[in-house]
Formats: sequence, C-alpha cells, structure tokens
Amino acid sequence: MAVPKRKMSRSNTRSRRSQWKAAVPNLVKTVENGRVTYSLPHQAKVVTDSAGTELFLEYKGRKVADV
Amino acid sequence: MPTPSKGPRLGGGPAHERLLLANLASQLFEHKRITTTVTKAKRLKPYAERLVTFAKRGDLASRRRVLGLISDKGIVHELFTDIAKQVENRPGGYTRITKIGNRKGDNAPMAVIELVLEPLSAKQAVVAEATKAAEKAAPVEEAAVEAPAEETAEVVEETVEAPAAEAAAEETEEKTAE
Repeated sequence: MAVPKRKMSRSNTRSRRSQWKAAVPNLVKTVENGRVTYSLPHQAKVVTDSAGTELFLEYKGRKVADV
Repeated sequence: MPTPSKGPRLGGGPAHERLLLANLASQLFEHKRITTTVTKAKRLKPYAERLVTFAKRGDLASRRRVLGLISDKGIVHELFTDIAKQVENRPGGYTRITKIGNRKGDNAPMAVIELVLEPLSAKQAVVAEATKAAEKAAPVEEAAVEAPAEETAEVVEETVEAPAAEAAAEETEEKTAE
C-alpha cells in the first residue's frame, strides 16, 4: 500500500483547509404574521406551537409529514 | 407514456431497479403516502401514475398487466377498487411529491410522495365540465356545416341533370318527328 513519505507541514495543512468554504443557501423571504422569515424554497417547513415544540411539517397549507 | 430515464439505474442494476420501483409502488398504494429519497420519488412518480391509469381502465387485461409488476393481489385489488374510484375524475397527476429536507444519517435529500385522493376543487370541476361540453358541441357544429354542403351539392346535381334530361327528351321528340 502506498503511504506518504513525509509528514505534511502545518503550513500546507492550513493552506489546504483555507480553501474550505461554506456555500450560501438560496433562501426565500416571506412575511408571516408581520414577521419577515427566511426559508429554503420548495421545501416543507416545520410548524411549531407557541412553546417552540415541533409539531409537523407543512407545505402550502397542507400537512406533509410528522417530525 | 413516461419518458425513459437516462443515467444509472436505481440500486445495483436493471433487475434491482425494476424490483425497487415495483416495491415502492406497492407500498405507496398500500399506505397512500411514503417517505423516500427525492431521486426515488421522482422515478416512482411516472411509474405509479401509469399503474393508476391501468386501474382506471379497470378491465381484466390491465389488471393482469399490473399483476405482472406488483405481485401482491390484495394491493392490486385495493388499487383497482378504492384508488381508481377516488381518482375517477382526475385527469392525470395522481401523485404529489413534497421535499422535506435532508436525512440525518447521510444528508440525502428526502421527499414525501403521496397519492392525490382528495376530490377535485370546484374550479377544476368547472373547467373539466366546460372542456367536456366544448367537445360535445364541436361535433354538432361540424355536422351542421357538412349537411348544408351536401344539400347544395345535391341541388346542383339535380339542376345539372334536369336540363340534360329535357334536352334528351327534345332530341328524341325531334327524331320521332323526322
């Protein structure tokens, strides 16, 4: 099995890792009950009660699945 | 007819894909709503809707074609009796896919695919009725257009024939006089 001959330098490791970037998600902006919310497009959203407990997934006013 | 899918088969090969799709479809007809990956849901949609179309036709030949794909007789019976009756007036689009985010273990995008069993909305029903009425009205108009044309043609023929007959009669008279 082929193995590395030399230890990789801290500089090389950090140079490689500096290229890791998080992609910005495309969000849609909607106004719900007077509050602006950002959410993923074309995807069911979690409905929560006032205490913040997750109830079910909803999409276009239709219950889709349980959480 | 669904468009043939391009790219690699689901599962390990063509046979595996056939089995996967048949199993997914039978589970969908049994439970009316299943959670699966987005890729599988998209491949299942045309497959399942084609089976529903067979169920709506409802004759023995189509039942045997469906039984060749789904081996569970109970599920096929349910498809041909309950589901076919519930989607009787729906002009296609028997399934609905809703994306529900990524799976925890492998971050695979998941979706819920379900049968659309609720009755058509009032607006959809009106549109369907209007198109049906238009179809009914169209042949009547065509017949009405055709009928006068035929009559005029007959009249023309008669007018053409009548002078010819008279001329012939005159000729014969002349001949007898001579």
